[in-house]
Amino acid sequence: MLNTRTSIHQLALRQLTDSALPTGAFAHSLGFETYIERGVVHDEESFGVWLAAFVSQQLTYSDALAIRFLYEGVSVLELDELLTAQLLPRQVREASVKMGGRLIEIGTEVFPSEELDAYRALVSGGRAAGHQPLAFAVVARSLGVPQAEAIAAYLFATVTSLTQNAVRAIPLGQNAGQRVLRKMHDAVAAAVERTARLTPDDFGAVSPGLEISQMRHERQRARMFMS
Amino acid sequence: MRTTEGPLVELVETVQSPAPMGELELQVVARAGKSFAAHQFHRGALRVLRPHYLDDSGQVCYVVVNPGGAYLGADLYVLDVEVGDGADLLLTTQSATKIYRTPESFAEQRMTVRLGEGSRLELAPDQVIAYREASYRQKTHITMRPTSSLVMAEVITPGWSPDGASFRYEELRLRNEIHVQTDGGTRLLALDNLLVRPPLDDVTGTGFMEGYSHLGSLVVADARVDQALADELHQLAEKFDAYTGISLSATMDGITALVLRSLSNSTEKLNTLLGGCSGLLRQRWYGQAPLNLRKY
Repeated sequence: MLNTRTSIHQLALRQLTDSALPTGAFAHSLGFETYIERGVVHDEESFGVWLAAFVSQQLTYSDALAIRFLYEGVSVLELDELLTAQLLPRQVREASVKMGGRLIEIGTEVFPSEELDAYRALVSGGRAAGHQPLAFAVVARSLGVPQAEAIAAYLFATVTSLTQNAVRAIPLGQNAGQRVLRKMHDAVAAAVERTARLTPDDFGAVSPGLEISQMRHERQRARMFMS
Repeated sequence: MRTTEGPLVELVETVQSPAPMGELELQVVARAGKSFAAHQFHRGALRVLRPHYLDDSGQVCYVVVNPGGAYLGADLYVLDVEVGDGADLLLTTQSATKIYRTPESFAEQRMTVRLGEGSRLELAPDQVIAYREASYRQKTHITMRPTSSLVMAEVITPGWSPDGASFRYEELRLRNEIHVQTDGGTRLLALDNLLVRPPLDDVTGTGFMEGYSHLGSLVVADARVDQALADELHQLAEKFDAYTGISLSATMDGITALVLRSLSNSTEKLNTLLGGCSGLLRQRWYGQAPLNLRKY
């Protein structure tokens, strides 16, 4: 028989990380569209190289680490301020806030909690920006999702929406997209392990190439994505 | 609002430190339109050369010297710089920051900067070169007012190893925090955290160095920073042989940080690019000529 508590948080987590969750993730490439424009990302393999770098670097050092610190009791206000200050490419910072705002709205309707209300009040009062990983972490924690499971689910959900976007943009075949996702299992598992070993000094460490591409996207003429 | 005393920072600050290998304190003030050091202190392997005035703007130029020539394992260097209300400081170095082999340890530089109302700091150190098996941490903590002006440029090379291979060092961390202080409290405007760990990840390829060897950064925090300036600096940067991105931070208390990140294949190319951008700001905001430090 299923443990009721476990199955409830697992179903909640599935809803929260489903690519149909209307946060607007379909509108963001988080910089890979710049690589497409340069001709560096053009097929299944080259997209996989970018995605692996993105997961092991930026997603780990910013998003995943923010989720871990929130679980460990660092205040959401302090983490929100750190994310705003660290996400220097404007479009990526705005993407995080845009998707975070949607996640706070949806969470308030379907997974309400005191912690989420508190974060929402900070955002509506202008004291916090409302970042996606923090909105996710607040909800996941309130549902009793264990930390490592929450981080893995967040990373894989991001990987999934980025891959779906790449399937449309490059374009790739649907099966190629699934092969990319399967190959990312190890990268996501490695990222979860790395997140557990990082220190506060590591928070927000940038990868210059990823960052420059995200900045250059602001000036790209023909684009499908907002970031 | 609590910003600098959060639990994250406390964790960082409780790390045990050795006694500093070098210490430098510099307090610059302005009188009758001219800036000069009101307080200066140094101990150990850090000192400054006699001040220069490169033009008639009143900006004082100090050159930091590390007489030992290099940073070694477990070395700690501490710099404390204050630029008083209305004062104007150009701070540079005499030569590249070289980090030699630091087995089972790391060399560290901690710099604290406070900028007063209407003050200005141009920070233009020489490039960082890490040798094989070197680890280096550089932390720069800046607190400024909405009316202060900050321009800082930095270049990191692929390092040096006897066999000529690149990126053979252990770790480079360069962390810049820029805080804006008002009577209402202090807020974090920008956190620029660079971590290069060649043994852990391939840093040469897609996502990191993109096949280039050198990395340059320019950070400008000033109330006059806006999108038009970012667009103009982008146009300028595109003329150079480098891969460059520019973006703006959120605006806090009327002040915005502009960050330029650039990849290229030599220190010279990046210095020309960064110098071109800072030269545009010097000309536009202060009527000064571009920096030409190498003639001194």
